[in-house]
Amino acid sequence: MYPEKRPSLTRRAGRTLAARAGGAALLLLGVAACADKPTDPAGLADYQQRNDPLEPTNRVLYNVSDKVDAYTLKPVAQAYVWAVPLPARTGVANVLSNLASPAVFFNDVFEAKPARAGDTFMRFLINSTVGVAGVLDVAKGWGYPAHIADGGMTLAQWGLPSGPYLFLPLLGPSSPRALTGYGMDIALAPLNYVPRGYGLITLNYALYGVSIVSARAALLGDLDQVKKNALDPYATIRSLYRQHTNAEIKTMQDDHRMTVPDWYAR
Amino acid sequence: MTKLPTIARATLLSAALAGAALAPLSVAAPTQALAQAASADAAADTAFIQSLGQRLVAVVNGGGSNAEKKAQLQPMLNQDVDIDYIARSCLGRFWRTATPDQQQRYLALFHKVLTNAIDDKLGEYRGVGISVGNAIVQDGKSYVTTIITRPGQPTANVQWVVSHAGGAPKIDDVVIEGVSLSVTQRSDYASYLAHNGNSIDALLNALESKIARQS
Repeated sequence: MYPEKRPSLTRRAGRTLAARAGGAALLLLGVAACADKPTDPAGLADYQQRNDPLEPTNRVLYNVSDKVDAYTLKPVAQAYVWAVPLPARTGVANVLSNLASPAVFFNDVFEAKPARAGDTFMRFLINSTVGVAGVLDVAKGWGYPAHIADGGMTLAQWGLPSGPYLFLPLLGPSSPRALTGYGMDIALAPLNYVPRGYGLITLNYALYGVSIVSARAALLGDLDQVKKNALDPYATIRSLYRQHTNAEIKTMQDDHRMTVPDWYAR
Repeated sequence: MTKLPTIARATLLSAALAGAALAPLSVAAPTQALAQAASADAAADTAFIQSLGQRLVAVVNGGGSNAEKKAQLQPMLNQDVDIDYIARSCLGRFWRTATPDQQQRYLALFHKVLTNAIDDKLGEYRGVGISVGNAIVQDGKSYVTTIITRPGQPTANVQWVVSHAGGAPKIDDVVIEGVSLSVTQRSDYASYLAHNGNSIDALLNALESKIARQS
């Protein structure tokens, strides 16, 4: 929770981060191919609206991810849904969301949204205690609903454009802004600063695995639906991702709640 | 760790679009106030969605087979949703370049696409609740905000775009958690066209074979 007090660990997290980002960049360079830019005005307008100059590369990565998913993550997620009843799965999702709270809180602060930061702080406090280590989302019923805040949204709030569309292995739909923000979020996750030898590093990886399975399980039917109904699932997912990201950013920016109490004379 | 759930939610909600969005259409006549309204009126359009929403919940949560529910919903689709407008908007700039024959063929196919999308989702909805919130008027259209609840699922923020182009209120678009049905469908078609030499016939054939495989 207090990375600034552990400089050596911060450096380690930074190195991991740099390694991951470097790996992603290398991967992209290795298979990078650019889409042909149309010359007619209407086609050019469409091209710019798609904002996907790396489309051929992205499509390759999408197709590979899709194939790999069908034989790995999807069956695991299906088994998870089959074996674990819904209330337990909700509990797991709640625990994961509670553990992500510190990163959400810092992003709320970086976004200069004090009321949202207050919500997150209260959620973490209430759900970690009354909510039995985050299993139950008690805070929601007490007037502190969950919201999303991540590094990508913070960078958007700071005025950074999203950049072109990226489809990345494991991460899925992304953008340079979202990817940078994702790195920031890793640096903000408290479990990344746990000293070695505490067994918690293993726990962190286990949690990471569970969170991927939990997230995949949540969209089992819906992803199938998109792939079944869309003429071009890749483009449909790109559109869904962009619209949803923009809506989350807009909701955050439109949240003008004050933290000053009502009784305070303004 | 936070990124995946975000994506999960986006996809989840968008997929809920077809079902939750289109289910609320019902057979009953609009209220008197609505029949009189010729332009966007926040209060009247809120009542329109309120009335539709309640009848939707009755049909979707009610007993009966999917075929019976489908039969109940089908006529309303035509009555309360401006399907032709949505279809045109989904084709974007290619609507203008299409021949009248292509336009007619496309509209017929689009009706089937929409119906199939609803049929697909009908069985999955039980215990649905809807609460209607505020409406805002923008550019002559009302944006009515509702919250859809389903047991064991996160609540979904659904916005209904209501226009009065033909006099009576009709639904022009549905936006779930910021994801618009029209915009999503348009980017699907636009991308298909871009990869198939902008041929409208290719798009129509693809839609046709997709529908044939689904039914």
